[in-house]
Amino acid sequence: MNIVLLLIPLGLVMVIIAVAAFIWAVNSGQYDGDVDEHARIALE
Amino acid sequence: MALSSVFTVEGMHCSNCAVAVERAVRALEGVQRFSVNAATARASVEWNPDQLSLGKVLNAVKKAGFKAIPLEGEEAADAQRLERRLALKRIGVAGLGMMQTMMFVYALYAGGSHGISPDIAQYLRLAGMLLATPVLVYSGAPFFNAALRDLRQRRLGMDVPVSAALLLAFVASVVNTLRGDGQVYYDSVTMFIFLLSLGRFAEMSVRQRSLSASEAFARSLPSMATRICPDGSTERVPLSAIVLGDRLSVARGAIVPVDGTLNCGYALLDESLITGESRPVKRLQGGALMGGSINTSNAIEIVCRTSPETSTLAGIVALLRRAGAERPRTVAAADRVASLFSLVTLILAGAVAFFWAVVDPSNIMTATLAVLVVTCPCALSLATPAAFAAATSRLAQLGLLVVKPEGLERLAKVDTIVFDKTGTLTSGAVVAHVVRINTESTAEAMLAIAAALERGSEHPLSQAFTPFANPAIVAQDIQEFTGQGVQGTIDGRVWRLGQVDFVAELSEGSHIEDAGTHSRLALGTSAGISAIVAVEDEFTEGAREAATTFRALGLNVAIASGDSAEAVQAAADSLGIREFHSRMDFGQKLALVKQLQSSGNHVLMVGDGINDGPVLAGAYVSCALTNGSAIAQSASDLLLLNRSLRVLAEGVAIARRTRQVVRQNLTWAFLYNVTTVPLAAAGYVPPWVAALGMSISSLAVVLNAARLAARNAGERRAVTRAVTP
Repeated sequence: MNIVLLLIPLGLVMVIIAVAAFIWAVNSGQYDGDVDEHARIALE
Repeated sequence: MALSSVFTVEGMHCSNCAVAVERAVRALEGVQRFSVNAATARASVEWNPDQLSLGKVLNAVKKAGFKAIPLEGEEAADAQRLERRLALKRIGVAGLGMMQTMMFVYALYAGGSHGISPDIAQYLRLAGMLLATPVLVYSGAPFFNAALRDLRQRRLGMDVPVSAALLLAFVASVVNTLRGDGQVYYDSVTMFIFLLSLGRFAEMSVRQRSLSASEAFARSLPSMATRICPDGSTERVPLSAIVLGDRLSVARGAIVPVDGTLNCGYALLDESLITGESRPVKRLQGGALMGGSINTSNAIEIVCRTSPETSTLAGIVALLRRAGAERPRTVAAADRVASLFSLVTLILAGAVAFFWAVVDPSNIMTATLAVLVVTCPCALSLATPAAFAAATSRLAQLGLLVVKPEGLERLAKVDTIVFDKTGTLTSGAVVAHVVRINTESTAEAMLAIAAALERGSEHPLSQAFTPFANPAIVAQDIQEFTGQGVQGTIDGRVWRLGQVDFVAELSEGSHIEDAGTHSRLALGTSAGISAIVAVEDEFTEGAREAATTFRALGLNVAIASGDSAEAVQAAADSLGIREFHSRMDFGQKLALVKQLQSSGNHVLMVGDGINDGPVLAGAYVSCALTNGSAIAQSASDLLLLNRSLRVLAEGVAIARRTRQVVRQNLTWAFLYNVTTVPLAAAGYVPPWVAALGMSISSLAVVLNAARLAARNAGERRAVTRAVTP
């Protein structure tokens, strides 16, 4: 069962990486959701 | 130079709050003038840009415990975007935290039934605490803040029981973790926060979308314009610097910045932002252009006709803001119910805790948490506003603005519609069409001959033929016979247009036909009567369809007009409307509306909004077909911006659907609470199931409301086409 002692911190590290990636994605505007806007930029 | 701005302050409930805000802002260095109104939630500030920025002012308001939202342009868009991003980050943190916490806590559950060493169990509890704490602090912050604000103002919102449940579960888990024994609820805490945030996010999206439907008007104007100097060169100037009479250049695809007059040949304009009409309209030199329309032709030149503050668009924005500041009574009522419900929830949770403490202490946490979570009146308080927001934004897209908060509710109850005629059902112009034709010739040829005979005539009916004129056909020796008609020679033949007897004289009385009603004219030569022509009012776009739809919706339709009996009857017959009243001044129209209402009808009065203001104000609900700067003074509940009655018919249908959705939502919320509360109190509902159930019920309500805002696929294509230059 000693492997659990390693895997739990590993799980915590994974969460931190996932949260960091998500926050980066939101901050860089990837979820701003204005889909029409992008269509307009492409067409103009 | 000092800068000034107006913003909304959220969270003010009394004059004491206003004083607190004022004190906080006035303490800043560089504020030159500041006023705040608790009733309208508006604050206006003037500051010195060298010492201060608007951001700092808004921050000061925030520090005082209120929320400051800028009203205009980019700042408002930024504030919305930031709010959305923050909410997403909170959801993301809660969601990822929830997944991992579940892994740990479910290992504990499994360990409970299969055996687990106490060291590993404690290790898992600590890991759960490590994960749940940031989720609670970061993602749960909005709930705690709202609950604290509610408590400080001695009110009970639904965030109070939510926060109580979160704190109770978390504190109990931490105590058990530190003791190294017993149940932990970290999974329920994170899951509750995640699902609740999701529900709030859905609500926020609906709210922002409906807000943007009205604020889109404000934001659709560009902040800069291209001015043409007297020497012919151009310069970019801010919108606020434009004055009456300035010449402006509008590039292809750009937005017309102010109301203006076209100063070049012609222009094609997409007015969909204002009227919802996606087909471009054509304007000729000297024609009026609305600020906010998109120039789809080549670069045009316009002359500014109004200052940016008094433009059509500014009028609409002012009305919508006024409407947005007031809340419909049903929404306010739902809030009061929700507040009461929160109190009941807290009392019930206390009673349940006491009961289980006496009967079976091992069940206290499960039952109490479940009751607190499951009875959260989120669905109840969302039911009405979500539906209203979705319907209002849908109607705005169609070009029907709800400018009084009660407008939508009342529109759903309407059973009688009274139309003004001229300017509403009819455009005020007349148009001719051939009723019967006795020769081999075509209707177009007959109308062209009639147009040639009527050319130069002063008679108002002669305009009905103007659109059919053919330059190749010219009449000579035109004589007018007062009260009878006209006579002229075309290609050597003598033609007459007028009363049947008068035309029949040419052919010495042969082929006399009954021309039917009075507004019909005969056209003929010495060979007899060639055609019977009817002159009718020209109907506005969609009037025929709308009359049919209104009847299909089961509404009584009536016309009340100041026009002559014949004209009104002709229009009513053509539209299939049986009830009509002619030669009415607005006092009589008002009396008619009042009389209908006193016999229990709910009357929708439709007028042009310019000269029938008192009638509109007297009706149960009213709709004005107006545009131009008169909009801001309109007394009506609804504004039809594209003058298309078809949209109004659809509006009635949407209002009825909205009422239906609100009922469904309230029924659902009620049934949900009635069935789940007894189960939760009995201890049958684990906290995580309670969190799931509560969130699903809120989401169901929001999604049900979102159906009202849905556009169909055909319209989506039309929008794409309109965007393509």
